[in-house]
Amino acid sequence: MLSIRDLNYVYPNSDEPAIAGMNADIPRERVFAVLGESGSGKTTLLNCIARFLTPTNGTITIDDQDIADMPKAGFRRALGVVFQKLYLFPHLTVQENMILAPVKAFGQARSEARRTSAEMLDRLGIGDLDDRYPSQISGGQAQRVAIARGLMLQPQYMLLDEPTSALDARTTGEFSQWLSELQEDTSFIIVTHDLPFATAVASHGIFLEAGRIRAAGDVENILQQARRPNNE
Amino acid sequence: MVSRLLLAVRIGWVLGAMLAGFCLAAPAMAQDREKPLRVAMTGKYPPFSYYDNEGNLAGFDVDVSREIARRLGREVEIVATEWDGILAGLLAGKYDAIIGSMAITAERAKKVNFSEPYYQSGAQLFIHRDNPAKVFSIEECDGMKVSAVLGETYQRYLEQNHPAVEVVTLKSSVEIFELLEQNRITGFVSDRLVGSWQIKSASRPFVPVGDMLYAEKMAIPVRKEDTQLLEGINEALRQMRRDGTTRRIHQKYFGLAAPSNVGPSGEMSSGVIAAKLFKGFAATLGIAAAALGIGFFLAIPCGLVLNQPRGGMAFLYWPVRTVVDFLRGTPVLIQLLFAWMGLGLSPYVAAIGTLGVNSMAYMAEIVRAGLMSVDYGQVRAGRALALSRYQVFRYIVWPQAFRVAIPPLMNSVVALTKDTALVAVISVAEVIREAQSIISVTFEPSKYYLIVAVMFFAVTFPLMKFAGLIERRIRRKGFAHA
Repeated sequence: MLSIRDLNYVYPNSDEPAIAGMNADIPRERVFAVLGESGSGKTTLLNCIARFLTPTNGTITIDDQDIADMPKAGFRRALGVVFQKLYLFPHLTVQENMILAPVKAFGQARSEARRTSAEMLDRLGIGDLDDRYPSQISGGQAQRVAIARGLMLQPQYMLLDEPTSALDARTTGEFSQWLSELQEDTSFIIVTHDLPFATAVASHGIFLEAGRIRAAGDVENILQQARRPNNE
Repeated sequence: MVSRLLLAVRIGWVLGAMLAGFCLAAPAMAQDREKPLRVAMTGKYPPFSYYDNEGNLAGFDVDVSREIARRLGREVEIVATEWDGILAGLLAGKYDAIIGSMAITAERAKKVNFSEPYYQSGAQLFIHRDNPAKVFSIEECDGMKVSAVLGETYQRYLEQNHPAVEVVTLKSSVEIFELLEQNRITGFVSDRLVGSWQIKSASRPFVPVGDMLYAEKMAIPVRKEDTQLLEGINEALRQMRRDGTTRRIHQKYFGLAAPSNVGPSGEMSSGVIAAKLFKGFAATLGIAAAALGIGFFLAIPCGLVLNQPRGGMAFLYWPVRTVVDFLRGTPVLIQLLFAWMGLGLSPYVAAIGTLGVNSMAYMAEIVRAGLMSVDYGQVRAGRALALSRYQVFRYIVWPQAFRVAIPPLMNSVVALTKDTALVAVISVAEVIREAQSIISVTFEPSKYYLIVAVMFFAVTFPLMKFAGLIERRIRRKGFAHA
């Protein structure tokens, strides 16, 4: 369980909190959705969970352990991030992208990392991309590679920031399908404003508005609540 | 009987003189016995100093230096250096004395102490034999172009005493001869002895006209504080005058009976020339390579600091920024002269250090631009994969930044290689200086400067092609913003 308690975040040189008194529990399930329009605090929340921002106050815990106290390698093994822009390393081939962290950060043998990488890519249906450079593959393929790269560390949770923003409608459909079928021990937290996509892949989620949780629970319910006018 | 007595008196006199000389020289010897006497001259002033057919320094001043050092009981070490910085080099302690045909002037005497004169000559106007301007003395040269070598006394003399004469200063007599041959100047003022000798050696149709403008006494300057050395040199010169050594040396180079094989023949064997040029070019490339190594490895941390004006290294930003801007905003030539004379570094250390630090400044900016071209998201992605700060830099940021930086870095390498030509000024025996010393004997500037240019081009051209090749390859891979 990933728990958020009394979380506040105020950007330097700003009066308005980007996140104001947020409480949420994100259980270990296949896919959990963090919804909201741009400016609602989604990205700030993602950056706090990923430890790129330090909360002004409040705590975030994974299985009752405060993430601020976790050692770096342990934390990155507990929680992976795939960015909206993916940030594949352009000077490295797909395989080199995959094995960089296992080899350099975790001291895995290169041959072993290569084997794991090949298995992973095969499983994600992109086993033939090994030797390509990121500039030589499609947006949908790059998306899979970025997720596969994160999965190499076998994290408990993986944050996906706006995973459909670079995909067209057809690829988004394929991606939803693929994400649901993916057999993994990893729980995905998708941060998105793409509601149809969220409905397709996630059962539960939270809906943010102005730095607060406006609705939580079943995705269908959330969307009904969200569609109601704000000024009731 | 009388002659025997005379002989005995003479012997006694000579022995006494030797004893006196020994006693006078003794304190200096005790002090500096181990250290060789370091003597500066240009090596480009034949027949006073020049490189002989074997490529060794020789000439009137070399012979005088040897005789003086022998009388002081010291080894002699001859330093070939540029004329326009020769006094500054003495003051900076690069050598102990200048035995390079330097005329005594009041201005120079303010900074250094001169020995007694060791020969006399004077300023002489030389013109083309055809005399198209119909001048017969310097007084008739008003409004005309008359040349002198930069930094020699003649330049100042002409400016002060013949203000209406347009003085054209040039680097050496080689350039002056070319201009006079092409009729671009009316004449030139030079040392009477040297000028006549040079004209003869170069087989030029030039002649002296009019009286000497003035007479000059050539002497040996030493630093003001080196009074013992000055006494020693004066005593040695007196001895040399007394025992005929001075006259013998003078006649060897200028006497009517001077043998033709003395002094540079106007020729140098092509083997010696090739050896000098290649040795010089090897020095050039060595200096460039060493400077490049220093520059590149300093440029990486400096580029990093410049790329991050905030954060942990913020306190380094302004110092680095200032140093880099200063180095890029001042002439390399001045930096070289400062390192050599101001900081008192040896020529090679000054050359490699200055060019290294200078190229560091340029390359730091290139490294900074390369680092800037890498999206910060790449850093986050790396950290999200549990890579350390160093690993992110080493495996993600640097490889991308470096590839972007390669083409401009290559341009820096080319620029640095060319900049090594400047270090000739601080008397590093690189290819330009070797070429100048060849030209001072052969009088063929166009030929040897062209050869040197081709040597440089042979190295820089492949570098430029290589840079272009890498640039195209990076574009093909498609991740450079360039």
